[in-house]
Amino acid sequence: MKKLLNLQTYLPLLFGIGSTIILIGAWWGISLLTNSEIPSPLMTWSVFNEMLATPFYDYGPNDKGIGNQLVSSLIRVFSGFGLGSLVAIPLGLLIGSSKTAFRLINPIIQILRPVSPLAWFPLGLLAFKAAEGATIFIIFVTSVWPTLINTAFGVASIPQDHKNVAKAYGFSRWKYITKVIIPFALPHIITGLRLSIGVAWMVIVAGEMLSGGVGIGFFVWDSWNALSLEKILSAILIIGTVGLLLDKGFDWLQKRFAFA
Amino acid sequence: MTIHPISAPVDSASEFHKIQSRPASIEVKDISVAFKTPKGTFTAIKDIDLTIQKGEIVALIGHSGCGKSTLMGTISGMTQPTNGTVMANGNVVKGPGPDRGIVFQNYSLLPWLSVYQNIYEAVDSVFKGKTSAEKREITEENLKMVNLWPHKDKLPGQLSGGMKQRVAIARAFAINPSILLLDEPFGALDALTKGSMHIELLKLWNLDNRNKTIVMVTHDIEEAIFLSDRVVVMNNGPAATIKEIVDVRLPRPRNKKDIVHDPAYMEIHDRLMGLLFDKFSIEDD
Ligand SMILES: Nc1ncnc2c1ncn2[C@@H]1O[C@H](COP(=O)(O)OP(=O)(O)OP(=O)(O)O)[C@@H](O)[C@H]1O
Ligand SMILES: [Mg+2]
Repeated sequence: MKKLLNLQTYLPLLFGIGSTIILIGAWWGISLLTNSEIPSPLMTWSVFNEMLATPFYDYGPNDKGIGNQLVSSLIRVFSGFGLGSLVAIPLGLLIGSSKTAFRLINPIIQILRPVSPLAWFPLGLLAFKAAEGATIFIIFVTSVWPTLINTAFGVASIPQDHKNVAKAYGFSRWKYITKVIIPFALPHIITGLRLSIGVAWMVIVAGEMLSGGVGIGFFVWDSWNALSLEKILSAILIIGTVGLLLDKGFDWLQKRFAFA
Repeated sequence: MTIHPISAPVDSASEFHKIQSRPASIEVKDISVAFKTPKGTFTAIKDIDLTIQKGEIVALIGHSGCGKSTLMGTISGMTQPTNGTVMANGNVVKGPGPDRGIVFQNYSLLPWLSVYQNIYEAVDSVFKGKTSAEKREITEENLKMVNLWPHKDKLPGQLSGGMKQRVAIARAFAINPSILLLDEPFGALDALTKGSMHIELLKLWNLDNRNKTIVMVTHDIEEAIFLSDRVVVMNNGPAATIKEIVDVRLPRPRNKKDIVHDPAYMEIHDRLMGLLFDKFSIEDD
Protein backbone atom coordinates (compact mmCIF):
# COMPACT_ATOMS: atom_id res chain seq x y z
CA MET A 1 0.00 0.00 0.00
CA LYS A 2 2.69 2.39 1.05
CA LYS A 3 4.83 1.41 -1.90
CA LEU A 4 1.96 2.04 -4.31
CA LEU A 5 1.44 5.48 -2.82
CA ASN A 6 5.10 6.31 -3.35
CA LEU A 7 4.94 5.17 -6.94
CA GLN A 8 1.89 7.39 -7.52
CA THR A 9 3.67 10.49 -6.23
CA TYR A 10 6.79 9.86 -8.28
CA LEU A 11 4.93 8.88 -11.43
CA PRO A 12 5.04 12.32 -13.09
CA LEU A 13 8.77 12.52 -12.39
CA LEU A 14 9.33 9.04 -13.79
CA PHE A 15 7.41 9.89 -16.93
CA GLY A 16 9.39 13.10 -17.26
CA ILE A 17 12.65 11.17 -17.05
CA GLY A 18 11.23 8.67 -19.53
CA SER A 19 10.43 11.26 -22.17
CA THR A 20 13.81 12.96 -21.69
CA ILE A 21 15.51 9.62 -22.31
CA ILE A 22 13.44 9.07 -25.47
CA LEU A 23 14.24 12.56 -26.77
CA ILE A 24 17.96 12.31 -26.07
CA GLY A 25 18.08 8.75 -27.36
CA ALA A 26 16.42 9.65 -30.67
CA TRP A 27 18.62 12.69 -30.99
CA TRP A 28 21.70 10.66 -30.34
CA GLY A 29 20.63 8.06 -32.85
CA ILE A 30 20.14 10.67 -35.56
CA SER A 31 23.45 12.23 -34.67
CA LEU A 32 25.19 8.85 -35.05
CA LEU A 33 23.36 8.11 -38.31
CA THR A 34 24.43 11.45 -39.78
CA ASN A 35 28.04 11.00 -38.67
CA SER A 36 27.68 13.89 -36.26
CA GLU A 37 26.61 16.28 -38.96
CA ILE A 38 23.73 16.77 -36.57
CA PRO A 39 25.64 17.37 -33.36
CA SER A 40 25.08 14.98 -30.48
CA PRO A 41 23.27 16.05 -27.31
CA LEU A 42 26.58 16.14 -25.48
CA MET A 43 28.22 18.48 -28.03
CA THR A 44 25.14 20.67 -27.98
CA TRP A 45 25.07 20.70 -24.20
CA SER A 46 28.49 22.33 -23.91
CA VAL A 47 27.56 25.04 -26.44
CA PHE A 48 24.23 25.49 -24.69
CA ASN A 49 25.96 26.05 -21.36
CA GLU A 50 28.36 28.48 -22.96
CA MET A 51 25.42 30.44 -24.39
CA LEU A 52 23.65 30.54 -21.05
CA ALA A 53 26.81 31.51 -19.17
CA THR A 54 26.84 35.01 -20.67
CA PRO A 55 23.35 35.54 -22.00
CA PHE A 56 23.49 39.32 -22.23
CA TYR A 57 26.82 40.12 -23.87
CA ASP A 58 26.77 42.65 -26.66
CA TYR A 59 29.60 42.76 -29.20
CA GLY A 60 27.93 44.92 -31.79
CA PRO A 61 24.89 44.53 -34.01
CA ASN A 62 25.62 40.99 -35.23
CA ASP A 63 26.91 39.45 -32.06
CA LYS A 64 24.65 39.56 -29.05
CA GLY A 65 23.92 37.11 -26.25
CA ILE A 66 20.99 34.71 -26.39
CA GLY A 67 19.26 36.64 -23.61
CA ASN A 68 19.31 39.82 -25.70
CA GLN A 69 17.94 37.91 -28.67
CA LEU A 70 15.16 36.40 -26.61
CA VAL A 71 14.21 39.69 -25.01
CA SER A 72 13.91 41.49 -28.34
CA SER A 73 11.82 38.66 -29.77
CA LEU A 74 9.57 38.69 -26.74
CA ILE A 75 9.14 42.45 -26.95
CA ARG A 76 8.10 42.12 -30.60
CA VAL A 77 5.76 39.26 -29.88
CA PHE A 78 4.07 41.04 -27.01
CA SER A 79 3.78 44.31 -28.94
CA GLY A 80 2.17 42.61 -31.93
CA PHE A 81 0.11 40.35 -29.73
CA GLY A 82 -1.05 43.24 -27.55
CA LEU A 83 -2.09 45.34 -30.52
CA GLY A 84 -3.74 42.33 -32.13
CA SER A 85 -5.71 41.60 -28.97
CA LEU A 86 -6.80 45.22 -28.70
CA VAL A 87 -8.37 44.85 -32.12
CA ALA A 88 -9.52 41.24 -31.85
CA ILE A 89 -11.38 41.40 -28.53
CA PRO A 90 -13.68 44.36 -29.26
CA LEU A 91 -14.25 43.17 -32.81
CA GLY A 92 -15.00 39.67 -31.52
CA LEU A 93 -17.47 41.09 -29.00
CA LEU A 94 -19.15 42.96 -31.83
CA ILE A 95 -19.46 40.15 -34.32
CA GLY A 96 -20.45 37.71 -31.58
CA SER A 97 -23.36 39.87 -30.51
CA SER A 98 -24.56 41.21 -33.85
CA LYS A 99 -25.71 38.92 -36.61
CA THR A 100 -25.33 41.71 -39.15
CA ALA A 101 -21.74 42.39 -38.14
CA PHE A 102 -21.04 38.68 -38.20
CA ARG A 103 -22.37 38.27 -41.71
CA LEU A 104 -20.45 41.28 -42.93
CA ILE A 105 -17.12 40.46 -41.33
CA ASN A 106 -17.06 36.69 -41.24
CA PRO A 107 -16.31 36.24 -44.98
CA ILE A 108 -13.35 38.58 -44.63
CA ILE A 109 -12.02 36.57 -41.71
CA GLN A 110 -12.49 33.32 -43.60
CA ILE A 111 -10.47 34.64 -46.56
CA LEU A 112 -7.64 36.23 -44.60
CA ARG A 113 -7.21 33.74 -41.79
CA PRO A 114 -5.63 30.94 -43.87
CA VAL A 115 -3.03 33.31 -45.31
CA SER A 116 0.44 32.74 -43.87
CA PRO A 117 1.27 35.79 -41.76
CA LEU A 118 4.58 36.07 -43.59
CA ALA A 119 2.71 37.10 -46.72
CA TRP A 120 1.95 40.36 -44.92
CA PHE A 121 5.63 41.13 -44.43
CA PRO A 122 6.10 43.16 -47.64
CA LEU A 123 2.98 45.18 -46.89
CA GLY A 124 4.37 45.81 -43.43
CA LEU A 125 7.63 47.00 -44.96
CA LEU A 126 5.73 49.28 -47.26
CA ALA A 127 3.65 50.69 -44.46
CA PHE A 128 6.33 51.09 -41.81
CA LYS A 129 9.41 51.53 -43.97
CA ALA A 130 11.29 49.38 -41.47
CA ALA A 131 11.80 45.71 -40.77
CA GLU A 132 11.02 46.21 -37.09
CA GLY A 133 7.55 47.59 -37.82
CA ALA A 134 6.93 44.93 -40.43
CA THR A 135 7.82 42.15 -37.98
CA ILE A 136 5.49 43.50 -35.32
CA PHE A 137 2.86 43.89 -38.02
CA ILE A 138 2.95 40.22 -38.99
CA ILE A 139 2.72 39.23 -35.32
CA PHE A 140 -0.25 41.57 -35.05
CA VAL A 141 -1.97 39.88 -37.99
CA THR A 142 -1.14 36.45 -36.59
CA SER A 143 -2.53 37.23 -33.14
CA VAL A 144 -5.80 38.63 -34.37
CA TRP A 145 -7.49 35.49 -35.72
CA PRO A 146 -7.62 33.00 -32.84
CA THR A 147 -8.64 35.67 -30.32
CA LEU A 148 -11.18 37.16 -32.69
CA ILE A 149 -12.80 33.85 -33.51
CA ASN A 150 -12.85 32.58 -29.94
CA THR A 151 -14.22 35.83 -28.57
CA ALA A 152 -16.97 35.91 -31.17
CA PHE A 153 -17.80 32.27 -30.50
CA GLY A 154 -17.90 32.88 -26.76
CA VAL A 155 -20.24 35.82 -27.08
CA ALA A 156 -22.47 34.03 -29.56
CA SER A 157 -22.88 31.08 -27.19
CA ILE A 158 -24.23 33.02 -24.21
CA PRO A 159 -27.08 30.89 -22.85
CA GLN A 160 -30.60 32.25 -23.11
CA ASP A 161 -30.88 32.16 -19.30
CA HIS A 162 -28.23 34.82 -18.90
CA LYS A 163 -29.76 36.99 -21.60
CA ASN A 164 -33.12 36.59 -19.87
CA VAL A 165 -31.76 38.07 -16.66
CA ALA A 166 -30.54 41.12 -18.51
CA LYS A 167 -33.83 41.44 -20.34
CA ALA A 168 -36.05 40.89 -17.31
CA TYR A 169 -34.20 43.42 -15.17
CA GLY A 170 -33.70 45.93 -17.95
CA PHE A 171 -29.89 45.98 -17.92
CA SER A 172 -28.44 48.91 -19.81
CA ARG A 173 -26.22 48.11 -22.78
CA TRP A 174 -23.15 48.90 -20.71
CA LYS A 175 -24.26 46.68 -17.83
CA TYR A 176 -25.07 43.92 -20.30
CA ILE A 177 -21.60 44.12 -21.81
CA THR A 178 -19.71 44.34 -18.53
CA LYS A 179 -21.81 42.04 -16.35
CA VAL A 180 -22.99 39.44 -18.84
CA ILE A 181 -21.11 39.38 -22.14
CA ILE A 182 -17.55 39.87 -20.96
CA PRO A 183 -17.68 37.63 -17.88
CA PHE A 184 -19.26 34.87 -19.93
CA ALA A 185 -16.89 35.27 -22.85
CA LEU A 186 -13.77 35.71 -20.71
CA PRO A 187 -12.75 32.04 -20.61
CA HIS A 188 -13.22 31.90 -24.39
CA ILE A 189 -11.23 35.11 -24.83
CA ILE A 190 -8.38 33.72 -22.77
CA THR A 191 -8.42 30.52 -24.81
CA GLY A 192 -8.14 32.70 -27.90
CA LEU A 193 -5.27 34.68 -26.41
CA ARG A 194 -3.51 31.46 -25.49
CA LEU A 195 -3.78 30.19 -29.06
CA SER A 196 -2.73 33.59 -30.42
CA ILE A 197 0.41 33.84 -28.33
CA GLY A 198 1.31 30.28 -29.32
CA VAL A 199 1.07 31.01 -33.04
CA ALA A 200 2.76 34.38 -32.59
CA TRP A 201 5.72 32.70 -30.92
CA MET A 202 5.97 30.29 -33.84
CA VAL A 203 5.72 33.04 -36.42
CA ILE A 204 8.28 35.32 -34.80
CA VAL A 205 11.08 32.88 -35.63
CA ALA A 206 10.20 32.88 -39.31
CA GLY A 207 9.54 36.62 -39.26
CA GLU A 208 12.93 37.42 -37.81
CA MET A 209 14.63 35.24 -40.37
CA LEU A 210 13.14 37.60 -42.94
CA SER A 211 13.74 40.80 -41.04
CA GLY A 212 17.21 40.27 -39.63
CA GLY A 213 18.50 42.38 -36.75
CA VAL A 214 18.27 41.03 -33.25
CA GLY A 215 15.97 38.20 -32.24
CA ILE A 216 15.82 34.50 -31.68
CA GLY A 217 14.72 33.82 -35.26
CA PHE A 218 17.59 35.84 -36.64
CA PHE A 219 19.89 34.06 -34.21
CA VAL A 220 18.89 30.71 -35.72
CA TRP A 221 19.50 32.00 -39.21
CA ASP A 222 22.80 33.59 -38.24
CA SER A 223 23.95 30.37 -36.60
CA TRP A 224 23.16 28.55 -39.84
CA ASN A 225 25.34 30.99 -41.72
CA ALA A 226 28.06 30.41 -39.18
CA LEU A 227 27.46 26.68 -39.57
CA SER A 228 26.95 26.25 -35.85
CA LEU A 229 24.34 23.53 -35.63
CA GLU A 230 24.93 23.28 -31.89
CA LYS A 231 23.66 26.83 -31.56
CA ILE A 232 20.66 26.10 -33.74
CA LEU A 233 19.72 23.08 -31.67
CA SER A 234 20.22 25.02 -28.44
CA ALA A 235 18.06 27.79 -29.81
CA ILE A 236 15.35 25.27 -30.71
CA LEU A 237 15.36 24.01 -27.14
CA ILE A 238 15.15 27.55 -25.81
CA ILE A 239 12.37 28.52 -28.21
CA GLY A 240 10.44 25.44 -27.18
CA THR A 241 10.91 26.15 -23.49
CA VAL A 242 9.84 29.76 -23.79
CA GLY A 243 6.80 28.70 -25.84
CA LEU A 244 5.91 26.20 -23.15
CA LEU A 245 6.22 28.83 -20.43
CA LEU A 246 4.02 31.26 -22.36
CA ASP A 247 1.43 28.55 -22.76
CA LYS A 248 1.60 27.67 -19.07
CA GLY A 249 1.11 31.32 -18.21
CA PHE A 250 -2.09 31.52 -20.19
CA ASP A 251 -3.17 28.16 -18.86
CA TRP A 252 -2.85 29.64 -15.40
CA LEU A 253 -4.88 32.68 -16.45
CA GLN A 254 -7.53 30.40 -17.89
CA LYS A 255 -7.87 28.54 -14.62
CA ARG A 256 -7.82 31.76 -12.68
CA PHE A 257 -10.77 33.21 -14.59
CA ALA A 258 -12.90 30.12 -14.94
CA PHE A 259 -16.10 30.61 -12.94
CA ALA A 260 -17.49 27.68 -11.04
CA MET B 1 -70.53 14.34 -7.42
CA THR B 2 -69.87 17.98 -8.18
CA ILE B 3 -68.46 20.61 -5.93
CA HIS B 4 -68.92 24.28 -6.50
CA PRO B 5 -66.60 26.22 -4.26
CA ILE B 6 -67.81 29.31 -6.08
CA SER B 7 -71.17 29.05 -4.38
CA ALA B 8 -69.70 28.43 -0.95
CA PRO B 9 -70.54 31.05 1.66
CA VAL B 10 -68.11 33.91 1.80
CA ASP B 11 -66.46 34.63 5.10
CA SER B 12 -67.04 38.19 6.14
CA ALA B 13 -63.45 38.61 7.28
CA SER B 14 -62.16 37.78 3.85
CA GLU B 15 -61.30 40.28 1.21
CA PHE B 16 -62.94 38.76 -1.83
CA HIS B 17 -65.47 41.49 -2.47
CA LYS B 18 -62.77 44.08 -2.22
CA ILE B 19 -60.57 42.22 -4.67
CA GLN B 20 -63.34 41.79 -7.21
CA SER B 21 -64.01 45.50 -7.22
CA ARG B 22 -60.39 46.44 -7.78
CA PRO B 23 -58.94 47.42 -11.14
CA ALA B 24 -57.45 44.74 -13.31
CA SER B 25 -53.75 44.22 -12.84
CA ILE B 26 -53.20 41.65 -15.56
CA GLU B 27 -55.46 41.08 -18.54
CA VAL B 28 -54.61 38.14 -20.73
CA LYS B 29 -56.81 38.55 -23.78
CA ASP B 30 -57.34 35.59 -25.98
CA ILE B 31 -53.68 34.74 -26.39
CA SER B 32 -52.05 31.86 -28.21
CA VAL B 33 -48.38 31.03 -28.34
CA ALA B 34 -46.92 28.93 -31.12
CA PHE B 35 -43.23 28.01 -31.35
CA LYS B 36 -41.44 27.40 -34.59
CA THR B 37 -39.71 24.06 -34.41
CA PRO B 38 -37.85 22.05 -37.06
CA LYS B 39 -40.97 19.90 -37.34
CA GLY B 40 -43.28 22.83 -37.97
CA THR B 41 -45.12 25.13 -35.61
CA PHE B 42 -45.99 23.86 -32.18
CA THR B 43 -48.91 25.56 -30.46
CA ALA B 44 -48.18 25.50 -26.76
CA ILE B 45 -51.14 27.47 -25.43
CA LYS B 46 -54.30 28.60 -27.17
CA ASP B 47 -57.15 31.01 -26.56
CA ILE B 48 -56.22 31.87 -23.00
CA ASP B 49 -58.37 34.52 -21.34
CA LEU B 50 -57.59 35.52 -17.80
CA THR B 51 -58.11 38.70 -15.85
CA ILE B 52 -56.31 39.09 -12.58
CA GLN B 53 -57.28 41.87 -10.18
CA LYS B 54 -54.85 44.10 -8.42
CA GLY B 55 -53.72 42.49 -5.19
CA GLU B 56 -54.85 39.04 -6.14
CA ILE B 57 -52.73 35.94 -5.61
CA VAL B 58 -53.30 33.45 -8.37
CA ALA B 59 -51.77 30.00 -8.65
CA LEU B 60 -51.27 28.28 -11.97
CA ILE B 61 -51.28 24.50 -11.95
CA GLY B 62 -51.21 21.85 -14.62
CA HIS B 63 -49.16 18.92 -15.73
CA SER B 64 -45.55 19.31 -16.73
CA GLY B 65 -45.15 20.73 -20.22
CA CYS B 66 -48.70 22.04 -20.48
CA GLY B 67 -47.60 25.63 -20.97
CA LYS B 68 -47.52 27.29 -17.54
CA SER B 69 -44.11 28.84 -18.06
CA THR B 70 -45.15 29.91 -21.54
CA LEU B 71 -48.20 31.71 -20.17
CA MET B 72 -46.04 33.34 -17.47
CA GLY B 73 -43.64 34.38 -20.20
CA THR B 74 -46.32 36.28 -22.05
CA ILE B 75 -47.21 38.17 -18.87
CA SER B 76 -43.61 38.94 -18.03
CA GLY B 77 -43.00 40.02 -21.61
CA MET B 78 -40.21 37.50 -22.14
CA THR B 79 -42.34 35.73 -24.76
CA GLN B 80 -44.44 37.47 -27.37
CA PRO B 81 -47.84 35.82 -27.91
CA THR B 82 -48.56 34.74 -31.47
CA ASN B 83 -52.13 35.98 -31.09
CA GLY B 84 -53.88 38.20 -28.59
CA THR B 85 -52.54 40.77 -26.16
CA VAL B 86 -51.54 40.94 -22.54
CA MET B 87 -52.08 44.08 -20.49
CA ALA B 88 -50.21 44.73 -17.28
CA ASN B 89 -51.16 47.72 -15.13
CA GLY B 90 -53.18 49.07 -18.02
CA ASN B 91 -50.38 48.91 -20.59
CA VAL B 92 -49.94 46.46 -23.41
CA VAL B 93 -47.02 44.18 -22.58
CA LYS B 94 -44.35 44.55 -25.23
CA GLY B 95 -41.43 43.32 -23.17
CA PRO B 96 -40.27 42.92 -19.59
CA GLY B 97 -40.54 45.92 -17.30
CA PRO B 98 -39.64 46.86 -13.74
CA ASP B 99 -43.33 46.71 -12.77
CA ARG B 100 -43.09 42.93 -13.06
CA GLY B 101 -40.59 40.95 -11.00
CA ILE B 102 -39.80 37.52 -12.34
CA VAL B 103 -38.53 34.41 -10.63
CA PHE B 104 -37.52 32.05 -13.41
CA GLN B 105 -38.09 28.36 -13.10
CA ASN B 106 -34.36 27.70 -13.45
CA TYR B 107 -33.33 30.57 -11.12
CA SER B 108 -31.29 32.28 -13.86
CA LEU B 109 -28.55 33.68 -11.65
CA LEU B 110 -25.40 35.01 -13.24
CA PRO B 111 -22.76 32.45 -12.22
CA TRP B 112 -19.84 34.90 -12.14
CA LEU B 113 -21.54 37.30 -9.75
CA SER B 114 -21.75 36.71 -6.01
CA VAL B 115 -25.13 36.30 -4.36
CA TYR B 116 -24.91 39.92 -3.30
CA GLN B 117 -23.95 41.21 -6.74
CA ASN B 118 -26.68 39.20 -8.43
CA ILE B 119 -29.22 41.18 -6.46
CA TYR B 120 -27.34 44.46 -6.44
CA GLU B 121 -27.02 44.57 -10.24
CA ALA B 122 -30.77 44.09 -10.67
CA VAL B 123 -31.49 46.75 -8.05
CA ASP B 124 -28.96 49.07 -9.65
CA SER B 125 -30.52 48.53 -13.04
CA VAL B 126 -34.07 49.23 -11.90
CA PHE B 127 -33.58 52.04 -9.37
CA LYS B 128 -31.50 54.39 -11.44
CA GLY B 129 -32.42 57.42 -9.32
CA LYS B 130 -31.34 55.97 -5.97
CA THR B 131 -27.95 56.51 -4.35
CA SER B 132 -25.66 53.53 -4.08
CA ALA B 133 -26.10 53.53 -0.30
CA GLU B 134 -29.85 53.14 -0.78
CA LYS B 135 -29.33 50.41 -3.32
CA ARG B 136 -26.97 48.58 -0.99
CA GLU B 137 -29.54 48.82 1.76
CA ILE B 138 -32.27 47.34 -0.45
CA THR B 139 -29.95 44.52 -1.42
CA GLU B 140 -29.05 43.79 2.20
CA GLU B 141 -32.67 43.91 3.34
CA ASN B 142 -33.80 41.42 0.75
CA LEU B 143 -30.90 39.06 1.31
CA LYS B 144 -31.68 39.05 5.02
CA MET B 145 -35.31 38.35 4.26
CA VAL B 146 -34.37 35.08 2.57
CA ASN B 147 -31.76 34.32 5.24
CA LEU B 148 -28.85 34.44 2.84
CA TRP B 149 -26.93 37.35 4.30
CA PRO B 150 -24.20 35.05 5.68
CA HIS B 151 -23.79 33.61 2.18
CA LYS B 152 -23.71 36.90 0.35
CA ASP B 153 -20.18 36.47 -1.01
CA LYS B 154 -20.69 32.99 -2.42
CA LEU B 155 -21.02 32.31 -6.12
CA PRO B 156 -24.21 30.63 -7.33
CA GLY B 157 -22.19 27.50 -8.11
CA GLN B 158 -21.47 27.16 -4.40
CA LEU B 159 -25.16 27.22 -3.41
CA SER B 160 -27.73 24.47 -3.03
CA GLY B 161 -30.78 24.49 -5.31
CA GLY B 162 -32.95 25.91 -2.57
CA MET B 163 -30.47 28.68 -1.83
CA LYS B 164 -30.32 29.65 -5.50
CA GLN B 165 -34.06 29.77 -5.56
CA ARG B 166 -34.05 32.10 -2.56
CA VAL B 167 -31.56 34.40 -4.27
CA ALA B 168 -33.86 34.52 -7.29
CA ILE B 169 -36.80 35.34 -5.01
CA ALA B 170 -34.86 38.05 -3.20
CA ARG B 171 -33.90 39.54 -6.55
CA ALA B 172 -37.51 39.69 -7.75
CA PHE B 173 -38.67 41.17 -4.42
CA ALA B 174 -35.83 43.67 -4.32
CA ILE B 175 -37.04 45.63 -7.32
CA ASN B 176 -40.37 46.09 -5.51
CA PRO B 177 -42.60 45.35 -8.51
CA SER B 178 -46.36 45.72 -8.41
CA ILE B 179 -46.67 42.33 -10.08
CA LEU B 180 -44.68 39.29 -8.98
CA LEU B 181 -44.42 36.43 -11.44
CA LEU B 182 -43.08 33.33 -9.75
CA ASP B 183 -42.44 30.18 -11.78
CA GLU B 184 -42.25 27.33 -9.29
CA PRO B 185 -40.47 29.59 -6.84
CA PHE B 186 -40.47 27.16 -3.94
CA GLY B 187 -40.06 23.91 -5.86
CA ALA B 188 -36.55 23.15 -4.71
CA LEU B 189 -37.12 24.03 -1.06
CA ASP B 190 -37.57 21.63 1.83
CA ALA B 191 -40.91 21.77 3.61
CA LEU B 192 -39.59 23.91 6.46
CA THR B 193 -37.91 26.53 4.28
CA LYS B 194 -40.88 26.48 1.95
CA GLY B 195 -43.17 27.23 4.88
CA SER B 196 -41.11 30.20 5.98
CA MET B 197 -40.91 31.48 2.39
CA HIS B 198 -44.71 31.33 2.22
CA ILE B 199 -44.86 33.48 5.33
CA GLU B 200 -42.31 35.91 3.87
CA LEU B 201 -44.29 36.15 0.66
CA LEU B 202 -47.52 36.88 2.50
CA LYS B 203 -45.75 39.30 4.83
CA LEU B 204 -44.49 41.22 1.87
CA TRP B 205 -47.92 41.18 0.34
CA ASN B 206 -49.53 42.42 3.57
CA LEU B 207 -46.85 45.03 4.07
CA ASP B 208 -47.87 46.58 0.80
CA ASN B 209 -51.57 46.54 1.86
CA ARG B 210 -52.15 43.58 -0.42
CA ASN B 211 -51.61 45.77 -3.43
CA LYS B 212 -49.13 43.49 -5.09
CA THR B 213 -50.47 41.05 -7.62
CA ILE B 214 -48.82 37.66 -7.43
CA VAL B 215 -49.03 34.95 -10.07
CA MET B 216 -47.24 31.75 -9.27
CA VAL B 217 -46.79 28.43 -10.98
CA THR B 218 -46.76 25.49 -8.63
CA HIS B 219 -47.15 21.74 -8.61
CA ASP B 220 -48.05 21.77 -4.97
CA ILE B 221 -51.82 21.80 -4.43
CA GLU B 222 -51.54 22.59 -0.69
CA GLU B 223 -49.29 25.51 -1.47
CA ALA B 224 -51.68 26.77 -4.13
CA ILE B 225 -54.65 26.70 -1.77
CA PHE B 226 -52.77 28.14 1.18
CA LEU B 227 -51.48 31.13 -0.73
CA SER B 228 -53.92 32.01 -3.45
CA ASP B 229 -57.29 33.57 -4.07
CA ARG B 230 -57.83 31.61 -7.24
CA VAL B 231 -56.24 28.54 -8.74
CA VAL B 232 -56.06 28.34 -12.52
CA VAL B 233 -55.98 24.76 -13.72
CA MET B 234 -54.65 24.21 -17.21
CA ASN B 235 -55.37 21.41 -19.64
CA ASN B 236 -52.63 19.24 -21.00
CA GLY B 237 -50.92 20.51 -24.11
CA PRO B 238 -50.42 20.88 -26.97
CA ALA B 239 -52.67 23.90 -27.50
CA ALA B 240 -53.40 23.93 -23.79
CA THR B 241 -56.32 26.02 -22.55
CA ILE B 242 -57.64 26.88 -19.12
CA LYS B 243 -59.56 23.90 -17.81
CA GLU B 244 -61.13 25.62 -14.85
CA ILE B 245 -60.56 28.41 -12.41
CA VAL B 246 -61.20 27.42 -8.81
CA ASP B 247 -61.89 30.14 -6.26
CA VAL B 248 -60.26 29.77 -2.89
CA ARG B 249 -62.63 31.52 -0.55
CA LEU B 250 -60.78 30.89 2.65
CA PRO B 251 -60.46 33.78 5.06
CA ARG B 252 -57.11 35.42 5.66
CA PRO B 253 -54.91 35.35 7.54
CA ARG B 254 -54.74 31.64 6.98
CA ASN B 255 -53.10 29.31 9.38
CA LYS B 256 -51.30 26.43 7.78
CA LYS B 257 -52.07 23.99 10.58
CA ASP B 258 -55.74 24.79 10.96
CA ILE B 259 -56.62 25.42 7.36
CA VAL B 260 -56.29 21.77 6.36
CA HIS B 261 -59.14 20.88 8.70
CA ASP B 262 -61.44 23.45 7.18
CA PRO B 263 -64.14 21.65 5.17
CA ALA B 264 -63.94 24.36 2.51
CA TYR B 265 -60.20 23.65 2.17
CA MET B 266 -60.87 19.96 1.73
CA GLU B 267 -63.49 20.65 -0.89
CA ILE B 268 -61.13 22.78 -2.89
CA HIS B 269 -58.35 20.27 -2.46
CA ASP B 270 -60.51 17.46 -3.77
CA ARG B 271 -61.77 19.57 -6.63
CA LEU B 272 -58.20 20.36 -7.72
CA MET B 273 -57.14 16.76 -7.39
CA GLY B 274 -60.12 15.79 -9.49
CA LEU B 275 -59.22 18.29 -12.17
CA LEU B 276 -55.57 17.25 -12.28
CA PHE B 277 -56.07 13.52 -12.10
CA ASP B 278 -59.07 12.43 -14.11
CA LYS B 279 -59.24 9.03 -12.49
CA PHE B 280 -59.25 10.50 -9.03
CA SER B 281 -62.42 10.18 -7.05
CA ILE B 282 -62.96 11.12 -3.45
CA GLU B 283 -64.74 7.87 -2.69
CA ASP B 284 -61.34 6.18 -2.93
CA ASP B 285 -60.21 7.89 0.26
N1 LIG C 1 -38.82 28.01 -27.05
C1 LIG C 1 -39.60 26.93 -27.31
N2 LIG C 1 -39.55 26.33 -28.51
C2 LIG C 1 -40.33 25.26 -28.79
N3 LIG C 1 -41.18 24.71 -27.92
C3 LIG C 1 -41.26 25.25 -26.69
C4 LIG C 1 -40.47 26.38 -26.31
N4 LIG C 1 -40.76 26.70 -25.04
C5 LIG C 1 -41.68 25.80 -24.63
N5 LIG C 1 -41.99 24.94 -25.63
C6 LIG C 1 -42.97 23.85 -25.56
O1 LIG C 1 -44.17 24.36 -25.08
C7 LIG C 1 -44.77 23.46 -24.15
C8 LIG C 1 -45.04 24.18 -22.84
O2 LIG C 1 -43.81 24.46 -22.22
P1 LIG C 1 -43.73 25.17 -20.82
O3 LIG C 1 -42.32 25.37 -20.47
O4 LIG C 1 -44.59 26.37 -20.84
O5 LIG C 1 -44.39 24.06 -19.86
P2 LIG C 1 -44.66 24.10 -18.29
O6 LIG C 1 -46.11 23.93 -18.09
O7 LIG C 1 -44.03 25.28 -17.69
O8 LIG C 1 -43.94 22.77 -17.82
P3 LIG C 1 -43.17 22.47 -16.43
O9 LIG C 1 -44.21 22.26 -15.39
O10 LIG C 1 -42.44 21.20 -16.70
O11 LIG C 1 -42.29 23.62 -16.16
C9 LIG C 1 -43.85 22.28 -24.04
O12 LIG C 1 -44.36 21.24 -24.84
C10 LIG C 1 -42.54 22.77 -24.58
O13 LIG C 1 -41.87 21.74 -25.22
MG1 LIG D 1 -42.44 25.55 -16.48
